[in-house]
Amino acid sequence: MGFHLVRKTDIKIWQIALYYLAGIAVSLILGAVLLTSLEINAVDYYKDMFTAGLIGNRFPAKTIENFFVSFVPLLITSLALALSFKMRFWNIGGEGQFIIGALTSSVIALKCPNMNPFLILLLMVITGMVFSGITGLAIAFLKTKFNTNETLATLMINYIALYVIRFIGDTKADWNFFLREDSVRPKFASFEENARMPYIDIGGYHLQFSVIFTVLIAFGIWFYLKYTKQGYEISVVGDSSKTAKYAGMNVNKIVLRTMFISAAMIGLAGAFTASSSAGVSANITNNVGWTGIIVAWLSKLSIPGIVVASFLISILQYGCRIASASYPSIDSHFADLLQGIILFSVLAADFLANYKIVRRKETDNA
Amino acid sequence: MPDSVNTLDIITQFLFYLVVYSIPLLYGTCGEITIEKSGSLNLGVEGTMAIGAIFGYLAGCAADNLFAGVIVAFVTAALTGAVFALFTVTFQANQNVTGLTITTFGVALYYFMGNALGEKWPVFVNSKKLVGSLESINIPGLSKIPVIGKAFFSHNILVYLGILMAVLLWVYFEKTRQGMRVRAIGENPGAADSLGIKVNLNKYLHIMLGSGIMGIGGLYMGFNMSGTFEGSNCWINGYGWIAIALVIFANWNPAKAILGTFVFGFFKTLAVYYGTLAGSFPNALGWLGKIPSHFFAALPFIITLVILIADSVRKNKHSNEPAAIGINYYREDR
Amino acid sequence: MDGSEFAIELKNISKSFGSVAANKNINLTLKKGEILALLGENGSGKTTLMNMLSGIYKPDTGSVFVDGKKVVISSPEDSVKLGIGMVHQHFKLVNVFTAADNILIGKTGEGDKSFFLKKDRYDKVDAIIKNFGFELDSRKLVSNMSVSEKQTLEIVKVLYYGAKTIILDEPTAVLTVQETTKLFDVLRKMKEKGHSIIIITHKLNEVMDISDRVAILRKGEYIDTVNTSETSEKQLTELMVGRKIDLAIDRPKMEKTKPVLEIRGLSVKSDEGNLALEDVSFYLRGGEILGVAGIAGSGQKELCEALAGLRKIEAGRVLHKGEDIAGATPKQILEKGVTMSFVPEDRLGMGLAPSLSITDNVILKKYKEGKGILVDRKTGAKDAAKIIKELEIVTPSADTAVRKLSGGNVQKVLLGREIAIDPNVIVTAYPVRGLDINSSYAVYNILNEQKKKGVGILFVGEDLDVMLALCDKIMVLCHGKLMGVVHAHKTTKEELGLMMTGALNTVHRGGKTAGVAKDSAIVEDEIIYTDTEAAK
Repeated sequence: MGFHLVRKTDIKIWQIALYYLAGIAVSLILGAVLLTSLEINAVDYYKDMFTAGLIGNRFPAKTIENFFVSFVPLLITSLALALSFKMRFWNIGGEGQFIIGALTSSVIALKCPNMNPFLILLLMVITGMVFSGITGLAIAFLKTKFNTNETLATLMINYIALYVIRFIGDTKADWNFFLREDSVRPKFASFEENARMPYIDIGGYHLQFSVIFTVLIAFGIWFYLKYTKQGYEISVVGDSSKTAKYAGMNVNKIVLRTMFISAAMIGLAGAFTASSSAGVSANITNNVGWTGIIVAWLSKLSIPGIVVASFLISILQYGCRIASASYPSIDSHFADLLQGIILFSVLAADFLANYKIVRRKETDNA
Repeated sequence: MPDSVNTLDIITQFLFYLVVYSIPLLYGTCGEITIEKSGSLNLGVEGTMAIGAIFGYLAGCAADNLFAGVIVAFVTAALTGAVFALFTVTFQANQNVTGLTITTFGVALYYFMGNALGEKWPVFVNSKKLVGSLESINIPGLSKIPVIGKAFFSHNILVYLGILMAVLLWVYFEKTRQGMRVRAIGENPGAADSLGIKVNLNKYLHIMLGSGIMGIGGLYMGFNMSGTFEGSNCWINGYGWIAIALVIFANWNPAKAILGTFVFGFFKTLAVYYGTLAGSFPNALGWLGKIPSHFFAALPFIITLVILIADSVRKNKHSNEPAAIGINYYREDR
Repeated sequence: MDGSEFAIELKNISKSFGSVAANKNINLTLKKGEILALLGENGSGKTTLMNMLSGIYKPDTGSVFVDGKKVVISSPEDSVKLGIGMVHQHFKLVNVFTAADNILIGKTGEGDKSFFLKKDRYDKVDAIIKNFGFELDSRKLVSNMSVSEKQTLEIVKVLYYGAKTIILDEPTAVLTVQETTKLFDVLRKMKEKGHSIIIITHKLNEVMDISDRVAILRKGEYIDTVNTSETSEKQLTELMVGRKIDLAIDRPKMEKTKPVLEIRGLSVKSDEGNLALEDVSFYLRGGEILGVAGIAGSGQKELCEALAGLRKIEAGRVLHKGEDIAGATPKQILEKGVTMSFVPEDRLGMGLAPSLSITDNVILKKYKEGKGILVDRKTGAKDAAKIIKELEIVTPSADTAVRKLSGGNVQKVLLGREIAIDPNVIVTAYPVRGLDINSSYAVYNILNEQKKKGVGILFVGEDLDVMLALCDKIMVLCHGKLMGVVHAHKTTKEELGLMMTGALNTVHRGGKTAGVAKDSAIVEDEIIYTDTEAAK
C-alpha cells in the first residue's frame, strides 16, 4: 500500500468553510435520495421546507413568530451546552434541565394569575434558572467530588424528568394544579394572559421579548467567554485542567460555577418556552437538548458559529414541520435524520480539511 | 389470599419475565463491552439498537423468518458500527460526538421508517412462523424443576443465545490469544501495534461485532413489545444508555453483565407486572398498586443514577476500564 | 556471513511533518554484528529515522535495504518480519498484563500460536527468558515492574520475535549508572551472538564506551559515520553541534544568604496512595542552585507539586523565609514569590494551555490581577512581546497557539513567564528536556541570571553531568527518601549513582545531618530531635 494519511499543518479558515459547505450539500443530496426513495419530489419538498411555507402564506407574520418560538430555545440551549463542552464537561442533560426549567417556572405562572406581566416573567425565569441550575450544580458536584460519570448522570435525569412531566400530564388529581379543571381528560392548563411572553407589535408582527433577550444573551456569552476572567478560566480548564490547577485556579469551583450557569441557561430557555407557548406539555423540549449538542459541535463551540448553525437547524426543523402538512408520510423526524447526516458530513469535512492522503514516492537509486 | 399454587405461578411468571426483559440489555451491554475493550467509547448504543431493531423486525416479518430478522438486525447494526469506526478510527473524529450523532441518527431513522411505512407496517402476529420460532424451548430436565424450571429454563432461542454470547465473550477476552490482543489495543494501542497486531482492523471488527450484538438486542426488544410501532415511543427508549451504564457496573466483564442486567430486568418487570403483583398479594404487596406507573417506568433510570453515584463514591480501585478508552489512535502521533 | 555485509542500509531517506523536514536525504549503514551509536541532539531526527525502520513512520522518499535486499516497511508488522526490533524510549507495554502475556500476544514471530492461552505459558516464558540470559518473573504484572525490569522485558520481547537487528532509543535515559553498566554488558553479549545493534543517545561518554561506529545526525541531516576508536568526545561534539562550542557550564559564585526555603520532615503521597516522599528535609538558600537527582519516579514530581501547593502535604513543614506555607493554596504560594515550572514527558502537560496563544499563556499566573471582571490582555500582550524578544522565541506572533511552537520555544515561554513574575524561589523540573544544546545553554544562562539576582533555584534534572556543572549542591532521592545532600564540586557521578539506587546514604555522614541548615528558622530543639532520631 503506497497510501497513508498525513496531518495538514496550515489550513485556512475559508478552506474549512468550503469543506463544510460541501458537507452540507452532500447531506442535502443524501436527504434527497431518501425522499426520492419514498417517491417524493425532493426539490419541491426542500422548497417547502426552506421557505417554511412563507411563500403564498396569508399570515407570514405568524409563521415568523412561530419560527422564533422554536429558534429561541435552541439557540439558548446550544450556547449553554457549548459553555460546558468548552470545559470538557459532557452535559448531555439538556432535555431534563429544560423540562425542569419549564415545569418549575409554570408553577409561578399558574399560581400567580394576577401578577404584573413583567414581574411574573422575571419570577418565572428566576425560578426556572435556579431549579435547573441546581440540578446541573449537583451533577457537577458529584463529578468534582467523586468523578461520577457526568454523561450518564445528566442523561438519566433527562429520562427521570421526562417521566415526571408525563406523570403530571397524565394524572388527574386534586393536588395537580398543572391540569385544566374543566377538562375530564388530563390536559395541561394554559397560562393566564399575564404569564404569556410580552411582545412588541411591529405592523402585525409580534416581536416577543424572549427574542430580544436571546440576542442579548448570545452577545453576553460571547463577551463572557472572550473577555472576562471567568471566560478565560473556562478556556484554560478546558484545554488542560492540570495547568489550571497549577496556575492557582480553583478548578472545582470553576466547573461548579460554569455547570450552574450552563444548566441555569437551559432552565431559562425552558421558562421562556413555557411562557411563549402559554403552557407546558410533555414534549415541550422539542428535542432541543439533543439538537443543541449537534448545533454546538457543528459550530465547533464558536459562539457566532452557534448563532448561525442554530438558525439554520431551526429553519430545517421548523420547515420540516410545516412541510409535513403537505407530505403526510414525512414527519418532523426527517429533520432529525437530516441533522445527523449533516453532522456526519461536517465531521467528514473536518477530516478532509485536516488530513491529506499521500501517495508514497519511491525513489530508486539502486 | 391466593392459594399457594397460584402464588408460585405468579413468582414463576415474574421470574420468567425478569429474564425476558433482561436479555435485550445483556445484548446491549455485551455489545458495548466488546467495543470498549477495543478502546472505543460508543455512545451510540441507543441509535444502533434502534436501527437493528427496526430493520431486523421489518426483514423478519417480510421473510416470516426469525433467522432472517436476526441476521438483518446484526448486519444493519454492524454497518452502523462501521460508520462509527469510519469516523473515529479513520477520520479521527471525537468519539463522544460521533456516538451521540449515531444515536440521533439511529433513533430518527427508526421513526422515519415507521412513519414512512404507515399502513404498510407489518403486524407481528401475522408472521406465524416468526412467532413460532420465538416459542419457548424447554431445557430437558432443568425445566422440570418447580418454580425455577419454567422461569429460567424455558425460554425462546434469543435468550439462550444471549447468555451463550455473554459467556463466549468472557472466554474470548480472558482466555484466548486473539481476545488478549484486542484488550491490548484497548489498553495501549501503540504497544499492540508494535507487536504487529493490526490496530485499526481490529477496532473496526470489534466495533462492528459489538454493534451487531446490540442490534440483536434491539430486535429482541421490539419483539417484547409485540412489534407494534408507536410514533411517540421508540422501542429502545433509553435502554441503550442503561446498557452503557451497565458496562461500568459490570466492570467490563461480560459474565458479570449477566448478573447486572438481571437487576435492571427486575425493575423493568416490576413496571409491567406491579399491578398483577398488587392484585395477587393485596396484603403484602397491595401498596405497589398505589404507586403511579410513571414511577416504575422511571425506576430503571433512577436506579442507574443511584448506582452510578454510589459506584463513584465507593471508588472502585480495581476498575477494569481499558486505559486507552476514548482516545483515538494515530500511529504517527508524536 | 551470507548476503550483504550490511544488516541495514538506508539510502536517501527523507521525511517531513507538514512543513518541517525531520529527515533530509539520509544515508546510513549498519554492519552485521556491530554496535552503531546514532548520535545527535534532540530534534536532530534520530528517533524519526529509526521509527521508519520500526514501521511507525513511512519515509516520503528513499529506500531501505535489509540484508542487501530492498524492502518496504509500511507497518510494525513488516518490521518485525524483517527481523528488526525496536525498544522505544516510552515502553510499549500493556500495564495490566503479565510479562508473559505482553510477549505472547504478538502477531508475528515464532513459537506458540495456540488459540487459547494456556496455564503453562509462564513456565515456557520463564525458560525463554533464562535462555536469553535475563532475569525476570514472567508472572509479574508490568504495572508492578521497575523501569529496568520493563526495559528487560522489552528486550526479551524483541528477541522472542527473532530480531537480528535491535534498535534502542535512549535506553539509558531512565537508568542509573549501575543499571547502565549492566545494560551495556547485555548489549555486548548480544553482539557476540551476532546481533546488530543501533543505540540512540546523546551522551558522549556512553557512545565512547559501547559503540563500534558512530553515525551523526544534525538538524535532520546526515553528517558522517566515524569509527569510535578513531574519534574523541570533542570531535563528536563538533560533528553533532556543527561548530566548536564551549561545553563548560558556568557556575557563578555567590555570597551565602539565609535559607529562603526550608523543608523539614516532608511526607507526601503519590496518586496511588503510597508515600512518594518520606520524611525529606532540605533547605535552599538565595543565590543557590540546588539540584535534585534520582531515578525517574523517585518522588521528584510529588516534591514539585507539594512545594507549589498542588499536592496535599501529609506531614512536615515547608518554611518560606521562616513562614510555614505547608497547606497554603497554589495561589497563596505563588503570591509569596515561589514559582514552579515542571516540564513533563509530553512537555505540554503542565504549566501551559497548548491551544491558547502565547499571550494567554503568559497571563496565566496573573490574569486575576487588576480590578474588574475583564482579563487585561493589553498588559499581557506587552509582557508576551517582552518575553519573546528577551528569550529570542521564534514565533509568527504573540497570538500563535503554543502547541504550534517548537519544543525549545515552548519551554522558553514557560520559563519566561515564571521569571516575569519576579520570583524569589524557582522550582524547575526538567527545563531542558528535549532541547538541543544551544537552547539548553540558553536555559542554563536564564537560570544563572536568576541565581545572580539572589533567587533560590531548585533544579530537578536528569543529566548528572549537567547537574554537576550547574548546581551548587545536589540532593539525591531514592524511593522518596533523602539519601543526602552533597556539594557538586566535591562529589562524583559514581557516588551520586550509588545514592540514587539507595546503596549509599550520606544523610548522617561526618556527624552532620544533611538537609538541616545551621542558621535554620526552625527552633533549635527540633533540630536536636532530628539528630537524636538519627542516633538511634
